[in-house]
Amino acid sequence: MVSIINSIDTGHEDIIHDAEVDYYGLRLATCSSDNTIKVYDIKSGAFSLLDDLKGHCGPVWQITWSHPKFGNLLASCSYDRKVIIWKSKEQQRKWLKHYEYANHDSSVNSVQFAPADLGLMLACGSSDGSISVLRYNPSGNAWEARKIQNAHAIGCNAVSWAPADVPVFGDRQGADEAGHRIKRLVSGGCDNLVKIWKEENDRWVEESKLEFHSDWVRDVAWAPSVGLHRFTVASCSQDRRVVIWTSDDCSTWNATVLHTFDDVVWNLSWSLNGNILAVSGGDNKITLWDESSEGNWRCISDVVKGQGQVNSQ
Amino acid sequence: MNMNKMLRSWNSEYYVALECKDLQANAMAVDSTGTFVLLAGRRFLAVTDLDSDFVVHKFPRQSKYAVGAAEWNPTSFHKELCVISSNQRLEVLTWRTEELIQNFSVRAHTRVITDLNWHRFDPNILASCSVDTFIHLWDLRDSRKPTLSLSAVAEASQVRWNKISHHLLATAHEGDIKVWDQRKGTAPVQYIAAHLAKIHGLDWSPTSENHICSCSQDNTVKFFDTTNNRRPECVLTTNAPVWRARYTPFGTGLVTAVVPQLRRGENSLLLWNTANRNTPVHTFVGHRDVILDFEWKKQHPDDTDFRLVTWSKDQALLVWKIDNYLQKLCGFEPIESKDPFKSHEYSENFRFFKKTSPKVQPLQQEFSLLNIHIPNLTILKMDAVARHVLVKATINNFVAILKVNFPSAYPHGVPPGFEVVKEGSNIGDSIAAQLLQMLTHLALQRVSKNRTCLESCLRQMVTTLEQLSSDTENKRVYTRPYMDPHNIFNNSDVYIPFPRTSGAKFCSVGMLVCFGQPVHARRLSMKADISPRTVSSTPRALSALENTYSKRPDDYMTVSAFYYQRQRSRAKQNYMKFSKAIVHIYDALGLFFVNKQLAEEYILDGDVGTICKHNAAAAAVVGRWDLVQTWTLAELVAGPQQADEENSWSNHPFGNKLMESLISDYASQHDIQMAAMLCCIFGKEHDVSVRKSSLKSLLSPVQLVPGKKWLKPESSPYHTIPPADIVADGWVLPMLRTTRSTSLDNLTIEGPLKIPAPKTAPNSLYEYYKTAYAETLHRWGLIYHRTEVLKFMCATPEVHKGVEFISDCKHCMKPAKFGSCGSCKKLTLKCVICHLSVRGSANTCVLCGHGGHSKCMKWWLSFHDTCLSGCRCKCLMQTAGMLCP
Repeated sequence: MVSIINSIDTGHEDIIHDAEVDYYGLRLATCSSDNTIKVYDIKSGAFSLLDDLKGHCGPVWQITWSHPKFGNLLASCSYDRKVIIWKSKEQQRKWLKHYEYANHDSSVNSVQFAPADLGLMLACGSSDGSISVLRYNPSGNAWEARKIQNAHAIGCNAVSWAPADVPVFGDRQGADEAGHRIKRLVSGGCDNLVKIWKEENDRWVEESKLEFHSDWVRDVAWAPSVGLHRFTVASCSQDRRVVIWTSDDCSTWNATVLHTFDDVVWNLSWSLNGNILAVSGGDNKITLWDESSEGNWRCISDVVKGQGQVNSQ
Repeated sequence: MNMNKMLRSWNSEYYVALECKDLQANAMAVDSTGTFVLLAGRRFLAVTDLDSDFVVHKFPRQSKYAVGAAEWNPTSFHKELCVISSNQRLEVLTWRTEELIQNFSVRAHTRVITDLNWHRFDPNILASCSVDTFIHLWDLRDSRKPTLSLSAVAEASQVRWNKISHHLLATAHEGDIKVWDQRKGTAPVQYIAAHLAKIHGLDWSPTSENHICSCSQDNTVKFFDTTNNRRPECVLTTNAPVWRARYTPFGTGLVTAVVPQLRRGENSLLLWNTANRNTPVHTFVGHRDVILDFEWKKQHPDDTDFRLVTWSKDQALLVWKIDNYLQKLCGFEPIESKDPFKSHEYSENFRFFKKTSPKVQPLQQEFSLLNIHIPNLTILKMDAVARHVLVKATINNFVAILKVNFPSAYPHGVPPGFEVVKEGSNIGDSIAAQLLQMLTHLALQRVSKNRTCLESCLRQMVTTLEQLSSDTENKRVYTRPYMDPHNIFNNSDVYIPFPRTSGAKFCSVGMLVCFGQPVHARRLSMKADISPRTVSSTPRALSALENTYSKRPDDYMTVSAFYYQRQRSRAKQNYMKFSKAIVHIYDALGLFFVNKQLAEEYILDGDVGTICKHNAAAAAVVGRWDLVQTWTLAELVAGPQQADEENSWSNHPFGNKLMESLISDYASQHDIQMAAMLCCIFGKEHDVSVRKSSLKSLLSPVQLVPGKKWLKPESSPYHTIPPADIVADGWVLPMLRTTRSTSLDNLTIEGPLKIPAPKTAPNSLYEYYKTAYAETLHRWGLIYHRTEVLKFMCATPEVHKGVEFISDCKHCMKPAKFGSCGSCKKLTLKCVICHLSVRGSANTCVLCGHGGHSKCMKWWLSFHDTCLSGCRCKCLMQTAGMLCP
């Protein structure tokens, strides 16, 4: 069911902290403790290094690609407290620093571009406890920042955008309500909380606070809503648990424990259509989970890295 | 009552229990029975028994750090236990048969420990707080790591368990107090902004769970009710910064001491009645130096007076008696007075200090006077009874262990014997011989004058070894290539999550990007002492790396170094040989229902029957027989289009229901491809009509009157939808109702209402299925197929944001959207070439606005590039330039 297409020796001098392939599946970006970001062309099973981006002066924690309609932008965040947005030049083979945001007081741990339909926006979560939302203003050709101060006491570890188009769930009428393009974010932090944020009149307000985890929340991921009949968010924590949060209206949320793992869980990723969740953690294992029609979560595979094998049932 | 006590020499209100100058103790603690006092300092730990006369048991410590805090376990179960803190370490000791045995010692914090406190009731629980901002709770039964870590953002200076509640504890952070509930370890339950200056001491009320007092540098003691913490209940103001404020175990009293560092001559303790905060009710005068600490001694059951034990900087331990009259002043009524010392009351003039210095041997004295802060030298053992000393010198690459034996006649003309211990030393015989020669020579010089020689000999040993090692040292290349870790990874790293070393991300459509540690480099098992605050084996915060560094000072401190701690040489090779940065990309499309080949093969154009047939064939090629069935079924449902209306599946309620449930079923399985395809096909007639009409509005000829402004489009002509369409396509209807004008509703009512109106809710989801499938196609680069799907979007996708051209009527100057003016009904455009009014196909230049019949324009512009009107506009070129920047 799952086959390996490509194994790329990135040549980073230290551990990789994040890797992401762009919208079309043609380019791979990786970031590492060696302070660099590398971009590879991975078309048709081969790979070649396109660019080696140097600009951070600390380990780079996370990267994110923008939708191609904004050009091939790449955003990265680092221990050096900076967020850098890179823009491609020369037939998209070289990336140059397009914008640098240095308004955080501690390590920036998470970046994510908003869904394309919301426009060119970027959310950043930092260990200084705040979340920044950067929005590109095409008329002024400038990035504007909105900051959610003190979003998480001690520090924010992860941010994730809600999908742009949200169907009206349940039997409620009123699809023509202006509720279609509400901008929402989910974040997780060192206060063991998961929080849902909503943009209201140009300000970000806390919509709900989800309390369940007993240790730092390491990652959050808002599932694409297509095919699902309610809002779904996944969160994982140092307490070794992954929790699936579901809601019909974004204000009351139900928690289901997906699984308690053997080690810390620090990475979550939903598939494009939101039916499979990839989980990875401190024990170096990757597992894939899907929800049966009865609503039970089951593990459908184990990816043991380093061996290049995926065992799927 | 104990006879010893009877014999004590009391002055009016206190007696001197101990005076021992050489202790240099800075911490004092009284045990729960009120019998033993622990005095702890850098050089010695001492335990004295208050009930027997002046017996002090001294235990030398080998530590370069002073003792920060000391406390006896307050429970009777573990009354023999005491704990001391020394820099970052916690040491738990047992007092048993006149010996102080260390139970364990743990590196509890990453920075200096500021305070300790035993749980008031649970004999195994201990709280510690530190400058590193953490408050750890320890359980003696598992001392490897804290049972709970409370993370405060600011450094903690005090920690105190509640004396009533089992769960509450308070900590002081600069001027603030945080109250924690150990059941809710995430965040403090109360936060009190108490003082503007640093808080030196906290004390919970012994009688109320909610009352706490804090004393501060700002000369005040504040009393708070934690249930209402906005402002203090009352404030006590003194004339000096307050070091400690403690409730009295009786009445409403409070004892305060000034900050020792100030040395303002304030060597007295003050007793206050909190009911009257203007003046102290009593001053305890007697100490000749500042008071370092004081504690209440447990009352004997048959005593009515209370005892206060105080320890001052001049190393005097005093025991104070709190008489009934003082108790009364604090609002306490003793039941009955049978104090045998009553006769001593008020005899203020009588002062008496008992000399306490025990018989000190000359050697013991020398040992106690020895300055052990000799660089590169550590004293391993110092035994005055066996009369020998063991020291270890580590100089550059030399390690030497020296044993010094003192004959009984030393230092009166008899030098000590020196001996290099072979085990543990790495100096050669020749160097050892040179060293011993030097030492013996020096010792002889001094003892000949009856002087002691230990310290000078030890210093000589260090200098000799330094000289001897310098030759070899010159050849050594000293490499310290990396920066001090504390510069890069500062203290705030405890809040930065530990870096991910593995991960998996779904990207594009069905790609799974994985990275991680190679299997052979799997992390070696973590020792608990590496980071006591981690709950699980993988560390939580980036600061865990600091420990790596301190353990392995010559290694590059990074995450990877963290994973290669043991078996270094072997791991190091692997580490170099195998790249640690490999990314694997998996094709996980097989896990999903969407299929790229089908996406390419599927068609959406044509009549429903043909589409279904074609798509069924495509599914068969791929081997998806389940889909073949569905497509065949779909063909059946849509089939009899040309046939009799009555028999049509599409008109049959069952047919619509079937398609609806098929779509929702596919959607719930996340087969977005099938759900979207069915949505498109079975919304077809309706959509085509909408599309046609909307296209009509977009494609209708647009004309301009030269030089006029452009106006925005207005409404879409929904009224052009023929009623027949709506009837034939009943099930999409409700969607129309939500978005279209009310005139539609009237039309449907007139129609043959055989079909009950389906629910709106599922239909509103159909648009999302199409959008999602379109995005999938887009990611695959199937742009043509994507457009095909997007054509079926029901809601007109977006308000047209581009430019639309509207002309003004040349006769009445009103905006005219179509070929003829709405108000004067005349044709609006006149051809610049043939000067006739234009009806039908027309072209105009967007720049100069001149235009006319398409034929005329084409003919003219094929020969010329400038406008015929003479406006000098190079119509073709400039338009092209405008459209393609």
